[in-house]
Amino acid sequence: MSRFENLYHRSVVTVLLVILLSPLAATLVYAFSSQWGSTILPEGFTLKWMIQLWQDPRFLVALGHSLLICFGALALAVVLVLPLMFVIAYYFPRLDSVMNVLILLPFAVPPVVSSVGLLQLYSDGPLAITGTPWILVGCYFTIALPFIYRAITNNMQAIHLRDLMDAAQLLGASTWRAALLVVLPNLRKGCTIAILLSFSFLIGEFVFANLLVGNRFETLQVYLYNSRNGSGHFTSALVISYFFVVLLLTLVANAVSKDKESS
Amino acid sequence: MTYLAVKQLNKHYGATQIFENIDFSADEGEFVTLLGPSGCGKSTLLRCLAGLTPVDSGQILLQGVDLVPMSPQQRGIGMVFQSYALFPNMSVNDNVAFGLKMQKQPANDIRRRVDEALALVELNEFAHRYPHQLSGGQCQRVALARSLVTRPRLLLLDEPLSALDARIRKHLRDQIRRIQQELRLTAIFVTHDQEEALTLSDRVVLMNKGKIVQNGSAEVLYTQPVDAFAAGFIGSYNVLDAREAGLLTGRSWRGQVAIRPESIVLLPAGQGIDALIVSHSLLGNVIRYRVSTQGIELLVDVLNRSVGDLHPNGMPIGLQLDIATLCEVA
Repeated sequence: MSRFENLYHRSVVTVLLVILLSPLAATLVYAFSSQWGSTILPEGFTLKWMIQLWQDPRFLVALGHSLLICFGALALAVVLVLPLMFVIAYYFPRLDSVMNVLILLPFAVPPVVSSVGLLQLYSDGPLAITGTPWILVGCYFTIALPFIYRAITNNMQAIHLRDLMDAAQLLGASTWRAALLVVLPNLRKGCTIAILLSFSFLIGEFVFANLLVGNRFETLQVYLYNSRNGSGHFTSALVISYFFVVLLLTLVANAVSKDKESS
Repeated sequence: MTYLAVKQLNKHYGATQIFENIDFSADEGEFVTLLGPSGCGKSTLLRCLAGLTPVDSGQILLQGVDLVPMSPQQRGIGMVFQSYALFPNMSVNDNVAFGLKMQKQPANDIRRRVDEALALVELNEFAHRYPHQLSGGQCQRVALARSLVTRPRLLLLDEPLSALDARIRKHLRDQIRRIQQELRLTAIFVTHDQEEALTLSDRVVLMNKGKIVQNGSAEVLYTQPVDAFAAGFIGSYNVLDAREAGLLTGRSWRGQVAIRPESIVLLPAGQGIDALIVSHSLLGNVIRYRVSTQGIELLVDVLNRSVGDLHPNGMPIGLQLDIATLCEVA
């Protein structure tokens, strides 16, 4: 690669990074500035907004709600989907193409439309769960499916699942033990990626949370929406804190999976 | 007494017959190779022996007992895969120990037998590595140790050398043969490479389109192919029809005739059958000439002794055919 090409590639990546990061950086500065209105640079820096936010019990409750619903939905997705995917990959590989279509359905219908449908379906009848966190857990489960399915399918193809199962069975392991001892540990990477991806997507979800549950079980995004009339510095602090939580969880997940690899 | 006897084995997927009425046997300690082009059913046949794929009908008798109704876990068969199929989450040690752990052997025995198996494939110093830290050849040796450690009654090898580069392939091929002879293992080896089949095996079973074409020792397969397919697949036989063969030999033949390229001798022009060099290619220790005589093209292999012996293209030359090496094929 010539020097010019090298320079060109570097500048493209740099421009891209600047475009992606500058709104975030501006929000960050805004969250820590005391006043930033009529001047080019902020007038002064303060921790006031952050302290105010993290001392607000309503924020802490909303954060707890969001984490609970996201992890609930992801736990449900992993527990239900992992065995299903194993069965499809090992016993019915032909169903994979059917699943690929099925899995995209949640994206085919816009959230505003499908939430109206969900409201009608679950407002009365045997399962009247509108306004409870349960409907969100169920709804988020379907949104997380495509991410989880794709990441884990790729992982399953990469490890030659069928050969591993065959080898383990010839060495005397039952199907159950082979799946548990040989296949499951090797899906850790795909599972981590799937969970991180869908987590950062779900925690930022607003339409379903607002329409299906709203203020009765306030999540982070609904709380952000409700604070829209307050100080912009305060909502900036909120956005930064929410990014920070996602970043922290990503780092923890990466550290955990790295630890296991080197041991 | 035959150790392994496969009788009238059939398998089809939907309307496609994978193989039909397969009959072959192996004695104890014998190395049998299933040789054939890809898609001839040899790999499926091997998976049926292992119990990984069910058969439609027929019997697989191992030491006189039919394996067909048994699960793969009960059969006591070891298998080595083309993709190695090592467990990526386990160290070399744990991979090899897996089968013994499934048998619930005492920990001391497991350690001793794993060490023995790793010594056999010369990988003791890699015991604590993970599969992703090993080369392809090393991975396949671990896979071999893993399938040998449980002392299987039968060892199946499904194209174990196909994913390796040429130098390592030759080395591992010799190692597999040495270990098989040391342990007096009965082994069934699947390959599409005729050189592998001829160098490794006590006996070669040649398959095509789901049927056994020829079953015999490497020497017999090489020198007496039963039909045009066998002649074409093993060695680079010249296959001539009866008329062409009659023209060259002056005798009358009933069917097709196969002539091995190395059994034709090149003479100075004017002697033997008049011919012309069309082209030549260097295969290393052998020079392969394409020669033309009376409208018939033949391949002739000559040992590459010195550069001075090389015949340029277009040069007239004489051919000598040894009638004894000619072989009539169906």
